[in-house]
Amino acid sequence: MLWLAAHFPRLGFEVQRDDDSANRPAVLVQDNRVLQADDAALEAGIAIGSTLATAHSIAPGLVHFQREAELETKRLEVLSQASYRFSSQVSLAPPDALLIEGSGSLRLFRGGEAFRSMVSQLYDRLGHAHRLATAPTPMAALILARAGLGQRPGEAMATVHEAPLDAMDLPDAETERLANMGITRIGQLLALPTAELGKRFSDALVNDLDRLTGRRADPRESIAPVERFHSRLHLLEPIRGRGALLFPMRRLADELEHWLNARCLGAGKLVWFFAPFAAAAQKLEVRFASPRTDAKSFLALTGLQLDRAQLPEEVMTVSLQADELTPLPLASADLLALADDHSGTSRTELVDRLAAKLGTEAVAGLSPADDHRPELAWRWQAPVARRAKTAPAPTAQAVRPLWLLDPPHPVDARRFKLLNGPERIDVGWWEDDARALERDYFVAAARSGAHCWLYRDREQCWYLHGYFS
Amino acid sequence: MTAWATAQKSPDSIEGLWRARELPRRRAADDGIETGFPVLDDVLADGGWPTAGLVELLLEGCGIGELRLLSPALAALSRTGKRCIAWVNPPYLPYAPALQAAGIDPARVLLVRPKSHEEALWALEQACKSGGCSAVLGWLAEPARLRFTEIRRLQFAAKQGRAWTNLFRPADAVREASAAELRLHLRPRSDDGLQVDIVKRRSGWPLSGIELTLGTGLTGQRERLYEQLERWRNRMLAASRPALMR
Repeated sequence: MLWLAAHFPRLGFEVQRDDDSANRPAVLVQDNRVLQADDAALEAGIAIGSTLATAHSIAPGLVHFQREAELETKRLEVLSQASYRFSSQVSLAPPDALLIEGSGSLRLFRGGEAFRSMVSQLYDRLGHAHRLATAPTPMAALILARAGLGQRPGEAMATVHEAPLDAMDLPDAETERLANMGITRIGQLLALPTAELGKRFSDALVNDLDRLTGRRADPRESIAPVERFHSRLHLLEPIRGRGALLFPMRRLADELEHWLNARCLGAGKLVWFFAPFAAAAQKLEVRFASPRTDAKSFLALTGLQLDRAQLPEEVMTVSLQADELTPLPLASADLLALADDHSGTSRTELVDRLAAKLGTEAVAGLSPADDHRPELAWRWQAPVARRAKTAPAPTAQAVRPLWLLDPPHPVDARRFKLLNGPERIDVGWWEDDARALERDYFVAAARSGAHCWLYRDREQCWYLHGYFS
Repeated sequence: MTAWATAQKSPDSIEGLWRARELPRRRAADDGIETGFPVLDDVLADGGWPTAGLVELLLEGCGIGELRLLSPALAALSRTGKRCIAWVNPPYLPYAPALQAAGIDPARVLLVRPKSHEEALWALEQACKSGGCSAVLGWLAEPARLRFTEIRRLQFAAKQGRAWTNLFRPADAVREASAAELRLHLRPRSDDGLQVDIVKRRSGWPLSGIELTLGTGLTGQRERLYEQLERWRNRMLAASRPALMR
């Protein structure tokens, strides 16, 4: 086994840093302490662990970022997916390292040195500072990478003896106890008899040492590659006109259908690219209310959007990418669309068609919300609810109009006959002024006979807010 | 002899004689959606709103009680089955708490807001024929541009998708011919009711002057308020009593 560990010492920065701050010293801060610093900041004399105020007083032009662990985890996952090209066994070593099992790939990449340089090139291209180390056990590789001692690949286990104890990721208390005993290097620890160590320290320490030396198995969980579909079709002749485009599009859609069916997946979004001979491709996104698998509906829904889309005059390349892939529950196709059990599917069908033609913002669902402010007592909802929610029982004792005017319409109260009221709604004073209400609501009859919902605000202005209809 | 005796009888006393005026009351294929207004149920062909077909509601303006006319049936539909109720291009926002109070499940409501007359018409037809909607409510941005053939398309789509489709049109369309299977002319009454004239119906002739009373829920509001106050007062008294004893 040959494990290659890649440690990203500045991952925390790199996920947050933008071009503006590129030439200023920067530090990463957690709990008001400097966690990581770049070269410029280190040169200026900022020590890791100093407070933010100290750091700012040392380097006035300093930029600091709050640590966001979630971003780092996400980026590490992206990096692991990118590393999957080197080996089928790639695993995460959070928070800031990856492990790649390389023995199976050495022949392909023609030797360990070439393998390392390929990996290194990839991370350079992705813009991440990194330290690589290879060792026969994953733990040794990690320690070497974290300690920055990976330069001599042949003598990994000997080098591990020189590595400081910090690189081993032990609990702080144990590191301190060991330091008090004068043990600061891993080699010193390995020289001690295991049984005695086990008596004085936790089992975890002994187990870690066994894993490090390879006496105990250290299985690592490999990542699963993310499934992607991206296929393109180069045309021999340029295509003009939308009708003719449907032929290459049908081929791609069929291909996607087979691909999805083989994996039992559904696509929530399609992205089509139409590229002219020498220019950037035009993008067309088609979203579905629920994941779909069949080429026919892909084409039908794309066709509805194609009419509105801006396309290049001559198309040379058509490509299709499927996103938001989700595993599908197995269900038989809809034979009788009108059977009530299947109305869920015909509803999503309808929502998809409407959204494709009119735009996603034109189709919506409603749900009541728990608020006394009439404007906030409802909210938009996705047109196809993921699961049926049980609506809360109506609590409002007072009458509410079926039609709501949004926003309310200023009116002259003399044209209405007040029938009922007032109902005082005075809420939201604990929030900012814009959201606070102080209104008296009345039910009133208009000349047309319609029953209206009027209110008078603090300034004694009258507004029409709804029709009882 | 017997024939003569029969002829002498008044037609009303003859058993089993079918009378034309009984026609709408016969509920052989009684598969309509009950309107919630027995007066109206009695005169409609299916004993209620058609489960599949186009209904035209002709009215001036908006907000005179047209939704309260439909809401009992909409509430019944939202309780049974899983199909949704599509609102295409409504003039105002359907208010979710009020829908809920009327018994209509807001989760069933599908709101479609097209940008033009053509889009609204297209969306309406799609909603009707999709089969995913038990009821469709449609308003048009430019109702004057609606053509006879388009109404017929809608009626056909509603039959195909088994959707009770309501199209709201201005009252002056009363004079125009239409392929809708039921056409009602709605006028507000002074006492917050509706006067319904049936302009066209299946297996029956036009009928005018049906008076409906719509409950607003206004009456009794004050009583409910007093009840609530009374409850609060009692609770306050009950809460403060031990303190007084001490």
